[in-house]
Amino acid sequence: MRISEAHVGRTYPPSEPYLVSREKIAEFAAAIGGDDAPYTGPDAVAPPTFAAVLAARAWQSMFADPELDVALHRTIHGDQRFTWMRPLRAGDEVVATLGIQSVRMRGRSAIIGVGVELAVDGEVVCTSTSTLFQTWPEEASA
Amino acid sequence: MSDFTDCTVGTELPPLELTFTRADLVRYAGASGDFNPIHWSDRAAAELGLDSVIAHGLLTMGRALRVVTDWVGDPARVRSYFVRFTKPVAVPDTDEGVVVRVTGTVTAVDDGVATVAIEAVCGETKVLGAAKAEVSVA
Repeated sequence: MRISEAHVGRTYPPSEPYLVSREKIAEFAAAIGGDDAPYTGPDAVAPPTFAAVLAARAWQSMFADPELDVALHRTIHGDQRFTWMRPLRAGDEVVATLGIQSVRMRGRSAIIGVGVELAVDGEVVCTSTSTLFQTWPEEASA
Repeated sequence: MSDFTDCTVGTELPPLELTFTRADLVRYAGASGDFNPIHWSDRAAAELGLDSVIAHGLLTMGRALRVVTDWVGDPARVRSYFVRFTKPVAVPDTDEGVVVRVTGTVTAVDDGVATVAIEAVCGETKVLGAAKAEVSVA
């Protein structure tokens, strides 16, 4: 099988919790560079786009769905939106939930809208919305 | 320079010059867990028809947001951020790497939240499209 418009609305069980650590925040902040003052010390927050790390982990549930035949190595990231209710902080246990929001088929390609909610203690703290392009090789099989 | 709380439509943020080297891509791969080889292997990049290793789109997105977070000082003020990945940033295997210039302009201020349009340009090429962030300035 392959992903189609019929899969719009499909959601996956929440991920295992991801524990945000001070060390991971510092590592990620160093990787995007610049002033690291907000990302160190007792009041440290995670850089806003650290949410991408958790969202991309959640994509695994979609890539692992045999009904979709969607694979990371065929995926091109078209656009990305994040909305934050509050920043992520060290000590947060983040649970990610993925849903397929839209699918448009164009021949051997699909344009997939993927939403991920990041929640701490049952409260959504960030939403991620991505447009992913998927193109299958000719005569491909799943 | 006036404080960000005084910003109005048309306020320009201090611009950034970001240098991307292969070492930056390796560091981001490790920090993010995105080990797609097109970000570190010329061979893998060539197989996809690319002339060179390219930066992770999310790295460009993350570094470009610094134009906003450096301006307001506190990343917790950022409410939303959108980018379209229009063109990849090709990163040569040199000490100098490649430079992306980032600018930001306030396009709206509503109820204590400023909308900042962000441009990221590599050479003559816009690498992010329709990029904008909403940030609390109250």
